[in-house]
Amino acid sequence: MAAKILPVVKFATKFTIAGGALYVAYDSGLLGDGKEGSVVLGRAKAAFPPAVEEWMKYFSFELPATPKIEFSPLDAWNSVFHSGVQKSIHALSVAPSTVSDYTKQGLQYVKDLTK
Amino acid sequence: MSEKELGQKWDRCLADCAVKFGTGLGLGIVFSVVFFKRRTWPIVFGTGLGLGMAYSNCQNDLRSRYVLHSKVAKEQ
Repeated sequence: MAAKILPVVKFATKFTIAGGALYVAYDSGLLGDGKEGSVVLGRAKAAFPPAVEEWMKYFSFELPATPKIEFSPLDAWNSVFHSGVQKSIHALSVAPSTVSDYTKQGLQYVKDLTK
Repeated sequence: MSEKELGQKWDRCLADCAVKFGTGLGLGIVFSVVFFKRRTWPIVFGTGLGLGMAYSNCQNDLRSRYVLHSKVAKEQ
């Protein structure tokens, strides 16, 4: 009798766990619109440091303080002065002349070697 | 669509992409462990689903300006 019920119970447990995970994801808006997704990301970012602190207190484990880096990739790419965009496009525009210069230098070097 | 609005839409797209990637990965891991004997393909499938949902959301968001709206006049 028990042997017959056990596979059913196992399957029901697995189904509950997987279904519960799926429901939690749906309920917290993780599977929704783009706007909901960015809201959830903001909430997670805000909740992350207190959660880490609580875990640290619970295990009495001191993580080394994360160094505060003042660099923001978004600003570096988008900024008005010397932005990543400007640098990339400038590099693309001077690429042909730079390549031809390097080729000439390389050929000159090879000629000097064979003299 | 102004440039500022477009930039905000792209930022939302990236954030949504990260969220859906993580969710897909997480759910894929859960399903892989629970149902599929820790095989790799559910994880990859879940991640792909998440990225696909993010792509679809992005597409909808960027196109929303140009969708035509109409109202059906009620017959009196």
